[in-house]
Amino acid sequence: MFKEAPLTNETDTIIGPSVKVEGDFVTEGNVIVEGMICGTIKTAKNLKVGPKSKIFANVSAENALIAGEIQGNIKVNDKLELTSTGKIFGDIKVGTLIVAAGSTLNGKCQMGTIKEKSIKPDFSKQEKIELKILTEEAIAEKKPVKKK
Amino acid sequence: MYYYLYDSELSDKKYNTVIAKIETRLTDLGINGKINRLSFLKNINQILTEEIKSGVKTVIVVGDDKTIGQVINLVADFNITLGLIPLGPNNNIARLLGVPLGEDACDVISSRIIKKIDLGKINNHYFLTDLIISGKNITLECDNNYFINLSEGNNIIDIGNLNYCYGSPTDPLDGQLDIFIENAQKKFLRKTKSTLSHFKNAVLKITGDKTVPILITDEKRIVKTPAEVTIVPKKLKIIVGKGRYF
Repeated sequence: MFKEAPLTNETDTIIGPSVKVEGDFVTEGNVIVEGMICGTIKTAKNLKVGPKSKIFANVSAENALIAGEIQGNIKVNDKLELTSTGKIFGDIKVGTLIVAAGSTLNGKCQMGTIKEKSIKPDFSKQEKIELKILTEEAIAEKKPVKKK
Repeated sequence: MYYYLYDSELSDKKYNTVIAKIETRLTDLGINGKINRLSFLKNINQILTEEIKSGVKTVIVVGDDKTIGQVINLVADFNITLGLIPLGPNNNIARLLGVPLGEDACDVISSRIIKKIDLGKINNHYFLTDLIISGKNITLECDNNYFINLSEGNNIIDIGNLNYCYGSPTDPLDGQLDIFIENAQKKFLRKTKSTLSHFKNAVLKITGDKTVPILITDEKRIVKTPAEVTIVPKKLKIIVGKGRYF
């Protein structure tokens, strides 16, 4: 996913350590961050955050490899890998999460896809229906007893 | 109808034999046409405008990058096909377009592989290859969405449309400018560390706390900040060779 290669068409954006980006950074290609970003980052492909980078932004990506620091909420559709030097201060929504020993994760974590959430069985309604049936039966049974 | 525009430097004697060979080859291929030799006394703008009005459809520049840079600004707004026979000291554009030097270029012109490529525009001035900016405290506003602040060390910014820099060819058909930022930091008794950043954008506004010169590589011409750089997609029809970079 994150093969180290010279600049090719696969890597569309590289934010080097000397660069500071401010604002809404939206792109369709792969992004490598080694510098600083303030604002938001959205990419339709992969995001790699280098160990010396600092991001003060909400992040959205398909896959992410985080070795630096992120202060903000993260939404990753597929796989989020947090390396030992990675630090996240914010809530994360992710498909698959890989966390290495030594990393920091402070915030709420929601994993899995939306489909998985929708399979939730509704026990509460079933119980109520059964109870109603029982009560009606009980009333029906009890009434003749009272007459006797 | 072909129209050949010779650079003023080609009046030098050392080019006589090559030009003679080129003209013979063009005649053999049946693509010879009207020839105009530029000189310091002739105004390229006036000459070309008159010829285009008279019905010229293909302009072939016989010269180097500087000559092409001048012609692009005149040809871009007309429906003209541009060709190139590279002769002279700087032939980077010809290399990128896959056009061989001298006489061999006649075969490329004859085969007529035409591509519609993007042109960069800086403050209403077109450029084909790239712009180079060097300095500190430069801010780039990209696509009216975000800012790139360059405050540390010495930065070399290369804004390219058609170029081959840092081991990566820039595509003049993608409708975007490639921005390469090389930052070099010198430390005492240590090797200079350089880092590279790369962005792709269609609109750029360049500002700095001081006036920063911007070099247009085609023409070796300098424009000063603040400047607005945009890309005009598929603006130029140009004859290319098989060995082109894109």
